Amino acid sequence: MSVTPALDLRGIGKSFGPVKVLDDVSFSAYPGEITALVGDNGAGKSTLVNCIGGVHPPDSGEYRFEGRRVRVHSPRDASLLGIEIVHQDLALCENLDIVQNLFLGREQRNGLTLDEDMMEEIARTTLSGLAVRTLGSARRPISTLSGGQRQIVAIARAVLLDNKVVILDEPTAALGIAQSQQILEVVRRLADKGLAVVLISHNINDVFAVSDRIAALYLGRMVAQVRTADVTHRQVVELITRGTGGEVGLRR
Amino acid sequence: MMKAGPSQEDVRRHNLGTLLRFVHLRGPASRATLAESLGLNRSTIMALTTDLTAAGLVREELPRGPGRRAGRPSLVVRPESTRVYVLAFEVGVDRFAVARVGLGGVVLDRREGVRTRDSDPAELLSVLVAGARSLIRKADGDAVCVGAAVGFPGTVRRADDMIMFGPNLDVGDLRLGDALSRRLGLGIPVSVCNDANLGALAEHERGAGVSCDNLIYLHGDVGVGGGIIAHGRLLGGDEGYGGEIGHMIINPGGRLCACGAKGCLEAEVGERALLHHAGREEDPGQAGRDAVRDIVVSADAGDIVSREALHRVGSWLGLGVANLVNVFNPGMIVFGGTLRDIYLGAAAPIRSVLANGALASSREKVKLRTAALRDDTTLVGAAEFAFAEVLADPVQVLARLRAPEDTPV
Repeated sequence: MSVTPALDLRGIGKSFGPVKVLDDVSFSAYPGEITALVGDNGAGKSTLVNCIGGVHPPDSGEYRFEGRRVRVHSPRDASLLGIEIVHQDLALCENLDIVQNLFLGREQRNGLTLDEDMMEEIARTTLSGLAVRTLGSARRPISTLSGGQRQIVAIARAVLLDNKVVILDEPTAALGIAQSQQILEVVRRLADKGLAVVLISHNINDVFAVSDRIAALYLGRMVAQVRTADVTHRQVVELITRGTGGEVGLRR
Repeated sequence: MMKAGPSQEDVRRHNLGTLLRFVHLRGPASRATLAESLGLNRSTIMALTTDLTAAGLVREELPRGPGRRAGRPSLVVRPESTRVYVLAFEVGVDRFAVARVGLGGVVLDRREGVRTRDSDPAELLSVLVAGARSLIRKADGDAVCVGAAVGFPGTVRRADDMIMFGPNLDVGDLRLGDALSRRLGLGIPVSVCNDANLGALAEHERGAGVSCDNLIYLHGDVGVGGGIIAHGRLLGGDEGYGGEIGHMIINPGGRLCACGAKGCLEAEVGERALLHHAGREEDPGQAGRDAVRDIVVSADAGDIVSREALHRVGSWLGLGVANLVNVFNPGMIVFGGTLRDIYLGAAAPIRSVLANGALASSREKVKLRTAALRDDTTLVGAAEFAFAEVLADPVQVLARLRAPEDTPV
C-alpha cells in the first residue's frame, strides 16, 4: 500500500545571488501525518518553507501536489492549492475579534452584507473540532488573548477552509509548558483529521511527542527523511549537528 | 429449552439498543442518517424512535442551524440528556469525584474533593454518598437514574465486584459497591471497576481511540494502571484482573513496588519513582498530580535534576511500551493521568527505547496519543459502564426503574 504524498518536492535548488541555500532537496509530506522538519540555524528550513509557500519560488527541481506537477510562483498559488503556512509572528490583527481574524480576506457574504451568523457558526465548529474550549467567546478581540490562545486562532485560521497541507513554523517556541502541550495535542488532532502537517521545531522532545516522520536538513541538503518510529534521540541530534547519525544520513 | 433463532422481540430489543447507542455515542442524528448508518429502513427507524420517545429516552425535533437542504426536513433524534442519567464515581488516592452524566455522555453536574492518603474507608464512603445525594437533589423531578459505577485504583473481581487489592488505597474488606447501593437507596446496583480499565473504555468510545479497536490505555496516578481493548472489547482475563500493566516487571531487582515485587513498571515510572529521582520525595507537601506536573515544568525550564528524572522514567516507560507493542500489536497507545504529562515531557527517551526495543513490523504503525478526555477518563468510563444496561435493553430497563413511582399509593 503506497499513499500519494500531499506534497512532494524533488531536487529543489535555491540560491540568492552567489549564496547557495538549498541543494538538491527532496521533501514529502503525507496526509494524516505530521512531518517534522528539523535542522540547525541556517540549515535552510525557512527557505524550504518559503519555496513551498511560493514566497521564494525554487530555481530548480520538481514540485508535486497530490501527485500532480504544479507551478507555485506566489503565495496565492500555494493558497489556491490548499497549502497554508502559520508563521511564527502569526499575522493576526490585534484590534479584530476571533471570527473576524479567522475570515480576514475571505469573509462570507450573504448578498451584499457579511454573513456574520454563518461565520460565527463556522468559527465555533472549527474551534470545537480542535477540542478548544479555553477561548471563551468567539467574539473576543485578539488583544485579550494569551500567546497560546493566539496560536490556536492562527492554527484554526489555517484549517478553516478545506486546506490540505498546513505548515507550522515553531508553534510552541514562545509558550509556557502547559500551552505548548495543548498546542502539540491540537497539532496532532489536525493530522488525525487527515491533513498533511509539517512541523518545524527546535525542540527534539516535541518532535518525538507528535511526529510520524522526521526530515533533517543539514547545510542546505536533506540528509534524512525517516519514520520517527525507527530512530533514536541521539540519531536525530547527530543528523542535525553532523548530517549523519547511525546508519542514516550523509555517506561519509 | 431450544431456541431456533432470535425472536421478533429479541430483534426489536437489539435494534432499540443499537439506535439508542448510536445517538448516545455519536450525538443527535436525523432519521435519514440513522437509517443509513444502521442499515434499517425509515419506517423501522420511525417505529423505534416512537418507542424510545414514549419511554422518555429520546426526543425528536426539527433540525436547527445552517445547512438546510431542499424538501421536508428529516427529524433529528436527540438523547434525553437531562431526564435519563447515571452516577459516575471516581476514587483516586488523593481525590474523589462524583458526576451526574446524562444520556449522550454529557456531564451535567459534578462534585469533587480531596482525600487524605490514609483516611478511613468509612469516611470515603460517606463523602461519596453525600456527593451523590446532592447531585440527585439537583436533578429534574422526572429524571431517572439508570445506573451507577465506581472507578477504583485496584484490582476488582468481576464476579462480585469485590476489591481484591489496592496497594495505594486500602479499603480493607469494605464492599464498596454494595455499601454505596444500600446507602443511596435508588434500587440500582453500583458496579465497581478498575479505574484504568474504565479509562480504556472511555478513550475507546469517546476519546482518542474512537476508530481504533486494538488499543492500550496507560493511566498514571500514584501507581500505574492499564486497560487493554482487543477487537473492540476490554480484555479482563479469567476473573477480571487483566490489564495490570503497572505490575509488569521491567527491571528485575529494581525498585520495590507496593505490591511486594521489585522492578514493576509502576515502581520505576510511578509518582514515587519520579519524585525520588527528582530529589523531591522528602518534601511532605509534594505529592500527587501537581507534584508530577511541577517536575515536568521544572524540566522544561531547564532544571537538570528534573530533566534527568524525566529521562530515567521515560526510558523505563519506553521499555514497558516496547513490550506491550510486541505482545499485543496495538493500533494505539493512549497515555492518561500523569502519564500524559510524562509522555509529552519525555517523548524522546520513550520513543528512542521503543525504536530499539520493539519489532519493526509492530512499532511502525502504532500511534502514541495523549488522552483526549484529559483528567476525566475514569469518570467518563464509569458513566459508560453504568449506561451499559439501559443501552442493552432500553425500554424494559426504563419501565422497571420508573415502575415504583407509577404505582398508585
